[in-house]
Amino acid sequence: MKHRITRRDFLTVSAGSLALTRCSLVGGRQPQPRVSIVRAAYSQSIYDTVRRLLVEHRVDVRGKRVVIKPNLVEFDPGTTINTHPMLVHATLEGFRAMGAGDVRIAEGPGHRRVTMDLADAAGYFETIPHFEDLFIDLNLDDVSQVLLRDPFSRLNSMYFPNTALGADLLVSLPKMKTHHWVGATLSMKNFFGLVPGSVYGWPKNVLHWAGIDECIADLHATFPRHFAIVDGVVGMEGNGPIQGKPKPVGVLVAGKDLAAVDATCCRIMKIKPTAIRYLMLAAGPRQLDEANILQIGETIPRMQTPFGLIEEWQNIRL
Amino acid sequence: MDVTSITNLQNRDGGWPYRKGGGSSTEPTVLALLAQSVDPGDPQSTERGLAWLRATQRQDGGWPPQPQVPQSTWVTALVALMPRDALGASRYARAIDWLMGQTGKEASLAYKLRNELLGEGGGVIGKHEGWPFFPGAAAWVTPSAISILSLEKARRYQMAGGIQQRIEIGRQFLMDRVCQDGGWNYGRANVLGVEADSYPETTGQALLALHGAPPSKLEKSLAAAQAQARRCQSAEGLSWLQLGLQAHGITAAGPAHVFPYRHVADTSLGILARAALRGRNLFLE
Repeated sequence: MKHRITRRDFLTVSAGSLALTRCSLVGGRQPQPRVSIVRAAYSQSIYDTVRRLLVEHRVDVRGKRVVIKPNLVEFDPGTTINTHPMLVHATLEGFRAMGAGDVRIAEGPGHRRVTMDLADAAGYFETIPHFEDLFIDLNLDDVSQVLLRDPFSRLNSMYFPNTALGADLLVSLPKMKTHHWVGATLSMKNFFGLVPGSVYGWPKNVLHWAGIDECIADLHATFPRHFAIVDGVVGMEGNGPIQGKPKPVGVLVAGKDLAAVDATCCRIMKIKPTAIRYLMLAAGPRQLDEANILQIGETIPRMQTPFGLIEEWQNIRL
Repeated sequence: MDVTSITNLQNRDGGWPYRKGGGSSTEPTVLALLAQSVDPGDPQSTERGLAWLRATQRQDGGWPPQPQVPQSTWVTALVALMPRDALGASRYARAIDWLMGQTGKEASLAYKLRNELLGEGGGVIGKHEGWPFFPGAAAWVTPSAISILSLEKARRYQMAGGIQQRIEIGRQFLMDRVCQDGGWNYGRANVLGVEADSYPETTGQALLALHGAPPSKLEKSLAAAQAQARRCQSAEGLSWLQLGLQAHGITAAGPAHVFPYRHVADTSLGILARAALRGRNLFLE
């Protein structure tokens, strides 16, 4: 029987090989990443849930500058597209309670320029006291050039907002969604919002030409001090990240290792993590292997629910 | 919303930041200066702003988004909306030359050849040349609309040949990118076979750039823009819609409540839209 190797298959294998090569270059055994899976709802209980998550992961932010990066994409009163404001507020309060010196919320949407109005419509102003004073529009921030070391993409350097570059800890707070270009958008893809629209435009099309998956892997490597809490209370399935359907899962997934967090989310969504090309580039199959991730809280089988996939992505089904 | 609030945000170097306390950037500086030209305030503020603009032009004739970014981008089209005399004839001519040299990457021969060989690109992508935000990327609605408006002003100075042709091709680019609902989004009406919705900001910008087009060609777009204005959720979006609709002789009825102006750009656009409603549309002068 002959197997027809598609372009995507070829690229995934190539990415895996490259990631393995990089892992072997690093050498040594990395500590097993810990990923929490906890049940959650958009209610007052989410404040306790998030605080427990941060304690559980021993996130030391005393006196540090923390930047929380939610996913704000489109006007959507139902917040199926955007990270829920209660989760953002709970995370803000959680880090303040843990002694962070300064906690900011920051985002740079890819298509819409009216970020503050998006946040207003998504309920951020209503839910988060003094939101306007805490929020930085990353699209309009002052920028600095960063040389990319050993980049995956064709870019040798990129401009980034000074707010993101100055953070001691960058907290990715994405929505658990399928994505028409990359399969799934989770904590790593959420870093696309760090790229300033004032330099690259709306959309940040330079990254598409340089390779979306490669740029995601570059962003992951450029911002290594990170933590993630994925909003899977209500995710999005089908034609995400904008035109999909709400997918209630009732879960938050958190951890310090974004690749491990995203791989766990994929398994919950019944998506093969190794079929997500940017995860293979950034981490490789060994890091994505379930056996190499220490799951805390709920188990994957108990929370697993298949996310609907568009035709182009049927091959990533777990 | 008045020009004083904008003047108060001017940086010591003469430029304006996107937000209070930020460094000077080209886009808010141009919008602030345009707002000052329809609602005159402090002439010294205007002169300092113009001096900042003149000083930040790059050798290639374009402008960077911020002085620390050594790359000319689409903001050059915004600067070219300024009167030629304000920039200086030589600076202005070099800016127009830079704009005339820009196209979306999808319009390149190499890209078209690749699509031909792979049997891709059967849609409208690459059919007509627009302008990118950043050199080397694809063309999109905002930079194309603003470039068209700038070149229309340049055409009046009878500058380099080919301007009128480029304007017409640019307008065809915009017509290629219209969404099913009649408006425009960033520039992709259909993603993987699914129709995408339009946005108020880009619908207003496209209608501005398409002023003078036969109403019969834009019937659906003008209706879409009016519908968007009624349910719009941002001051910036509403201002662009008012500017775009005014270019077609229509006064947009906005939503019931008033939106906050949050920074230099949307406040400046609000002043420009208000002037347009009074009969002075600076983008078309």
